[in-house]
Amino acid sequence: MDFSFPEEIQLLRRSVRDYVQGRLRPLEEQIEREDRIPDEVIREMAGLGFFGFPFPEQYGGIGAGELGYCVALEELGATSSAITNLIGAHTGICAMSIYLAGSHEQKQQWLVPLAKGERIGSFGLTEPEAGSDAASIRTTAKRDGDVWILNGQKQWITNAPIAGTFVIYAANDRERGARGGITAFVVPRETPGLSVGKPDEKMGLRGSYTAPVYLDDCRVPATNVLGQVGSGFITAMTALDGGRVSLAAGAVGMAQHMLDLSVQHAKSRKQFGVPIASFQAIQWMLADMETEIQVARYMVYQVAAKIDRGERVSHEAAVIKLFASEMANRAVDKAVQIHGGQAYMKGSPIERAYRDARILRIYEGTSEVQRLLIAEHLLR
Amino acid sequence: MNIIVCVKQVQDPETPASQFRVDEAAKKVIPPPGIPPTVNQYDANAIEAAVQLKEQHGGRITVISLGKDTARDAIKQALSMGCDAGLLIDDPAFEDADAYQTANVLAAAIKSVGDYDLILCGRQASDWDQAQVPQGLAELLGIPSVTPVAGIEVTGTTLRVKRLIEDGYEVLEVPMPALLAVSNEANQPRYPTLKGIMAAARAKVDVKSAADLGVNAVGRKVQLLRLYVPKVESQIEWITGETPEEQAANLARRLREERVI
Repeated sequence: MDFSFPEEIQLLRRSVRDYVQGRLRPLEEQIEREDRIPDEVIREMAGLGFFGFPFPEQYGGIGAGELGYCVALEELGATSSAITNLIGAHTGICAMSIYLAGSHEQKQQWLVPLAKGERIGSFGLTEPEAGSDAASIRTTAKRDGDVWILNGQKQWITNAPIAGTFVIYAANDRERGARGGITAFVVPRETPGLSVGKPDEKMGLRGSYTAPVYLDDCRVPATNVLGQVGSGFITAMTALDGGRVSLAAGAVGMAQHMLDLSVQHAKSRKQFGVPIASFQAIQWMLADMETEIQVARYMVYQVAAKIDRGERVSHEAAVIKLFASEMANRAVDKAVQIHGGQAYMKGSPIERAYRDARILRIYEGTSEVQRLLIAEHLLR
Repeated sequence: MNIIVCVKQVQDPETPASQFRVDEAAKKVIPPPGIPPTVNQYDANAIEAAVQLKEQHGGRITVISLGKDTARDAIKQALSMGCDAGLLIDDPAFEDADAYQTANVLAAAIKSVGDYDLILCGRQASDWDQAQVPQGLAELLGIPSVTPVAGIEVTGTTLRVKRLIEDGYEVLEVPMPALLAVSNEANQPRYPTLKGIMAAARAKVDVKSAADLGVNAVGRKVQLLRLYVPKVESQIEWITGETPEEQAANLARRLREERVI
């Protein structure tokens, strides 16, 4: 079997890497300090096609598939987590929900502007009382002729403060829950009744906007229902499958960046008159980082290629999300140890990554939820 | 407007100098593994200038590179930035070509491409920094050339060119066809769009050998006698004095002794 990448994916990787090194890396401190990605950078990335990696050109994307998307996110994982969060929430779960469940007309209307980056997308599933137990959402959808009326509150919604298009999940039948009781709606920001609360203050992920989203008698045309009424939970879970794989790709990129910095530091930092790279304690940490990164990376590619072949990957997505997110946390922890006090200082890219990495084990399904899914698959 | 851009793939200039090795016996630089070569930065300025001219005046841009198979990537980068066609001249006979031989091959390649209004090159390549090929090429083709160029305007069949001089620039009028060697002051090369990259990846790059082009073999004009890393020795001398003023005075005296000031 040929495991080499097609030329377009190789060139894509090189180009995204150049963009990270030339454009985004110099902005990392500014993004951290100001807690925002400069608007002109978002506009520039939109113009270059960064918001439409996996989607076909007919829907405004660049046609790189899930594999190309994951390779790009792996490269982007090496810079501010704000970037992977912006693109991940926009592409992997918001726009992907429309791509998976939308009709051709809906894709033309909603997906094209998202894939071109003309609008930023946001995915509204999580609620104050519905995190891991996503099927228990309390936001309601009631039909009124040609319109659905949404009421409820969404929490920690990534991109909400800058989003132009929301995919909101609401219960049309709370009794039925996951089994036919949840529906996905496209809700443009300008829809009366939709409002976005104050952006959240977080431990890390500075520059990534999250906020509550309020739906107060928010009237949405019935033509904005994605897929069938009641099929929303399947759409959300399928989008999250892909989202987990691309999240894992970002985690691999982050871990690789930590390893690169650690190797560089170990070779240049001298203690007891020799580079610390000559100490076996340091060598083993580097070797363990490299080993785990390689394992995660190739599994990401494998699962992404499966998605491109149209196969269901719920099980593998849970496996790679669990492994890559925990692996990245171990890698960042080792990077802190290798860099010592330098990594503990504010302003260090490792200190930043240490705070940013922690969320990987929580969002888009906690490690515990992934284990639950994996065990369910094994024991079914 | 038909534009030809000549590009060279070089070792990434960001490569730390400490990572280079020189094989003195073979007179070759051994680049470090794992750092992919890149488009010569001045050539990227030439590509950008060509794409801007195409955006303003329409036309077609052909990219030509003499190099190994890896130089295909350099051509693809140019395609992803907006160039239309690529030609790689890959021939082991020219692996160590000097500037004269390179200009000779490029001249033959340009003739094989057909009519052109403008040839753009980078002002020099960041590997050897000789800055000889552009003028040699213009001479062989019998067309005017300007280097180093910081700005280009097209008015009818004439170019108005900003040429860098020591303390500013001069504006020259040049009839087309002409060759301009572009400097980094001319522009900031764009990041290619990802769609452009995907299209470039799928695009076919023509590959030709010297024989395909019917190049007359010409001998080297330059012989490399020795290639080595110069040894840099430095020594530190502490300048003493009771007070900062005295230290400064002693430093000035010492610098004068060394005829530095």
